[in-house]
Amino acid sequence: MNDSSGQLMAAVRNASAPDRDTRLALYRQMQACRMMEQRAYDLFMQNLIKGTSHLALGQEAVAAGFGVAMRDDDYSFCTYRGHNHTLARGASMTGILGELMGRECGLLGGKGGSMHLMDVDKGAMGSYAIIGAHMPIAAGAAWSAQYRESGQVAVCFFGDGTTNIGAFHESINFAAIWGLPVVYVCENNLYMEYTPIGEVTAVPNPGADRASAYGLEPVLADGNDVDVMYALASAALEKARSGDGPSLIEVQTYRHGGHSRADPGKYRPDEEVAAWKARDPIPMYRQRLLDGGIDEATLAAIDDEQAARVDKAEQTARASGPPLLEVADTDVWADGSSSWRN
Amino acid sequence: MAQLSYREAVAAGIAQEMRRDDKVVFIGEDVAAAGGVFKTTEGLQAEFGALRVRDTPIAEQAILGATMGAAMTGLRPIAEIMFSDFFAVCWDIVVNQIAKTRFMSNGQCSFPLVIRSANGGGARFGAQHSQSVENWAMAVPGLKVVAPSSAADVKGLLAAAIRDPDPVLFFEQKSLYGTKGEVPEGEHVEPLGKAKVLREGSDVSIVALAAMVPRALQAAETLQSEHNISAEVVDVRSLVPLDTTTIFASVSKTARLVTVEENPRLCGWGAEVSSLVAEELFWDLDSPIVRVTTPHVPLPSADALEDAVLPSAERIVANVVRLAD
Amino acid sequence: MDVLMPQLGETVAEGTIAAWHKKAGDTVERGDLLLDVETDKVATEITAPESGVLSSILIAEGETVDVGTVLAVIAVDGEAAGAPPAQTKAPGAAESAAPQAASGMPEKSADGRLSPVVRRLVKQHNLDIKEVAGSGRDGRITRQDVLNLVSAGAQSAAATGLATASQRIPFDRVRKVTADRMVRSKATSPHVLQAIDIDFHAVDASRLTRRNQWKTEKGYSLTYLPYVARAVCLAIRDFPKVNASVDGDALVVHSDINLAIAIDLNHEGLLAAVARKADSLSVSELAQTFNELVTRAKSNKLVPDDLQGGTYTLSNPGPFGTLFTAPIINQPQVAILSMDAVKKRPHVVESAAGDEIAIRPIGVLAHSFDHRAIDGAYSAAYLQRLKTIIETTDWDAEF
Repeated sequence: MNDSSGQLMAAVRNASAPDRDTRLALYRQMQACRMMEQRAYDLFMQNLIKGTSHLALGQEAVAAGFGVAMRDDDYSFCTYRGHNHTLARGASMTGILGELMGRECGLLGGKGGSMHLMDVDKGAMGSYAIIGAHMPIAAGAAWSAQYRESGQVAVCFFGDGTTNIGAFHESINFAAIWGLPVVYVCENNLYMEYTPIGEVTAVPNPGADRASAYGLEPVLADGNDVDVMYALASAALEKARSGDGPSLIEVQTYRHGGHSRADPGKYRPDEEVAAWKARDPIPMYRQRLLDGGIDEATLAAIDDEQAARVDKAEQTARASGPPLLEVADTDVWADGSSSWRN
Repeated sequence: MAQLSYREAVAAGIAQEMRRDDKVVFIGEDVAAAGGVFKTTEGLQAEFGALRVRDTPIAEQAILGATMGAAMTGLRPIAEIMFSDFFAVCWDIVVNQIAKTRFMSNGQCSFPLVIRSANGGGARFGAQHSQSVENWAMAVPGLKVVAPSSAADVKGLLAAAIRDPDPVLFFEQKSLYGTKGEVPEGEHVEPLGKAKVLREGSDVSIVALAAMVPRALQAAETLQSEHNISAEVVDVRSLVPLDTTTIFASVSKTARLVTVEENPRLCGWGAEVSSLVAEELFWDLDSPIVRVTTPHVPLPSADALEDAVLPSAERIVANVVRLAD
Repeated sequence: MDVLMPQLGETVAEGTIAAWHKKAGDTVERGDLLLDVETDKVATEITAPESGVLSSILIAEGETVDVGTVLAVIAVDGEAAGAPPAQTKAPGAAESAAPQAASGMPEKSADGRLSPVVRRLVKQHNLDIKEVAGSGRDGRITRQDVLNLVSAGAQSAAATGLATASQRIPFDRVRKVTADRMVRSKATSPHVLQAIDIDFHAVDASRLTRRNQWKTEKGYSLTYLPYVARAVCLAIRDFPKVNASVDGDALVVHSDINLAIAIDLNHEGLLAAVARKADSLSVSELAQTFNELVTRAKSNKLVPDDLQGGTYTLSNPGPFGTLFTAPIINQPQVAILSMDAVKKRPHVVESAAGDEIAIRPIGVLAHSFDHRAIDGAYSAAYLQRLKTIIETTDWDAEF
């Protein structure tokens, strides 16, 4: 199966702008992600969020583009940098902030933490902290959908560093030979943790340059253009849903902060950071919407609405206490217990 | 009753469950068209078709990752890891993903999957194809661990594992594949988490697992006829959940415990059982607890060497006799 | 200065603290009663060896320790180190009262290689581990050994029909020791019983005239016992082998006659107190000696010398009215004589003038002897000599 038709790239090039409602939805989702993630940063600095967290400030267009394009019952899998992806599937912002703060109201009851956000009811099938581990799991969800003929699609988000680990190779090969309805999305933010991706990858484009190894179309797109993301997502989802198999997509983007809270990102050249911040997806899109005829008031209303939403989520999460100690040994097994003996 | 070999009982157990629930699917390397390298799954693809019984590439992480993804989205998948030594290749999926995700998600999903694997030595395959690794699995919270010793238990426990809503690692001892036993006709299910007293006795409890069970039974015969020692033999069957009730009842009665395992000297399952008994049945013990294990070396391949290191019936007898005063 | 567990007898290796009469911090004078100690044979008082302050008590009541163990420490007057003045009752003194408490862990049991289940069963059934024979390797006591003992106890209780209504009275130290010694004596010596009846007419001729005055002056009764004791000393001169011990395959004949008398302690135990060199004592001296021994025994004031060195034993259940007794030899002696009740009986008296029936005070002397040491004929001859002495001696002259 050798897909050199350039089908997906063509869909991207030929895509017309989404309708107004979709564009507002995309803008709203990006702002929600940005504001929530910014608030997470602030709460961490106030020591209300412990441990570590991996923020995706600057990468909102990917989460929003795919989030809006996906069907409610589609499956998404993401990495530990997954707050936005989880929010974009419709998970509760209070639940997300609560989970980061280790509160009882947290999305995972305080048991999973920042790196494992999950909302199965919304199809957000988990954030995974081991590089690449979720790629075969996503293939499995796709296999299940295929077996059940449900039309569901699994979308799997991962970073540029993941393309060099074994599970990347096994999963895409597996998905390709079984023609599974899974979309693999490589968010290339140019750095594998603290190291420039070019120094550790044998090819210039870590995702797109590997696609042909699996008989898949090389796809490379601007991850900061939410219209492009939406178009690409729609095309890949349609391809999978129609039984035409998996895709491997590389989108280029940039994180405003370091790898994790412990990392101020000083290893990146100032000019590079400045250049990418000038291409911040949200102000760029805001301008495009204004240019396209949507009025300022509408956009301001969305800004205010999301700001209020974040404030309320933070308030509610703060008011929640820590989890009851009893939950520490619950739900290892399906019956809710953790018992290993009689 | 039918006479089945241990290997035939594998296919019989899978088939029984695949017939009653079409969510049960099965994947692995060479399992479908070839019927398995140990011929444990012959006939399954013919009966259930290529959509339900599928061959995979050599890609253990993908196999188990896909199994997990399928289990969390409505299927009841069975995966084969050809040799249990290969768990090391995909151990991340087993212990970091499968074992933990239900807990981390606070119960949002469950993983009704079975990973079956050919375990243990005695086949002269050398150190990377002969390990018994059920103790690795026992050490990780979130995994159920089963190891049958007979054809009947293979079928019955595999059926129970497939029906169980939690992840089960099912260890088939490859040295037992050729052994035969009576297997009940019709639907046969054995409960997980229940040990079985296979031979009653009064002087010592020999607690064994999988391929060590027949050797323990043989040793018990010798102990009775040549040493007038009455040994009780307990087949553990499930390491997790562990049937401490049955094991404790036996040791309370006999006041002596000998465990027999194929694991190496350190941190095998016998160490855990011994520790539980030492802590909770201290005041019932008339002798120190003894673990009969493989020495702490990789398994050698030459038949004479391998036979010398794996616990034999003779070694079990010698260890029990040494305890008796 | 240290107060040590004394050696209260040659074969005594340990002692038990029965009671402390002082507590840590008390001022003591030399000679003050500090504590009571029990050994295999006797309860003894330990007095303060020096004046000072009893700064610490190291062994608690009820504990059994080896001879030589430090029981307590007295800070002797003038000693500076670690001696708090009595008035202030320094906390250090109180703490050291139970030094084992410094470690949070209870003391390790010093009972050798007893497995956990054996220890539990012994405690549960209130057994004395010394009673349990070990059938395991190197004499190790196994669970089955203990269970056998328990079921044997249960069986014998059942066999005597005691069953469920019985009361279980654990042996105290004296009872345990007595039981052990009796079993061992019987296991050591092949006991033979011989008896002879004695006409105490001649003894009464002396005793009855003296007894009222004796009672008034001395405060205790003049019984048959000192007369018999005197007769025994005289008879032993002619039959020295009854006053001996078996040592391996030799008979050790003792030159001294140290007569032990069995004393019952109000049905709470049995002692044999010794009148040393009894053959040098007259009847009245014997009476006096015996009375002192009995008095000391009953008030717990016997000293080790009172209990050691006996060569021949007299047992006198006579006051209880018994006909005869087969006593158990007091090891390492070879014979023991039981003197039972002397009662008026019709008796044939022979004389030149012919036989008559008279009322005479008749008592049976029963002799248990160790058949390793002597034979029946020797013992019988000894008894005959004893009879002759008792029946024909001019007792007033011996008095």
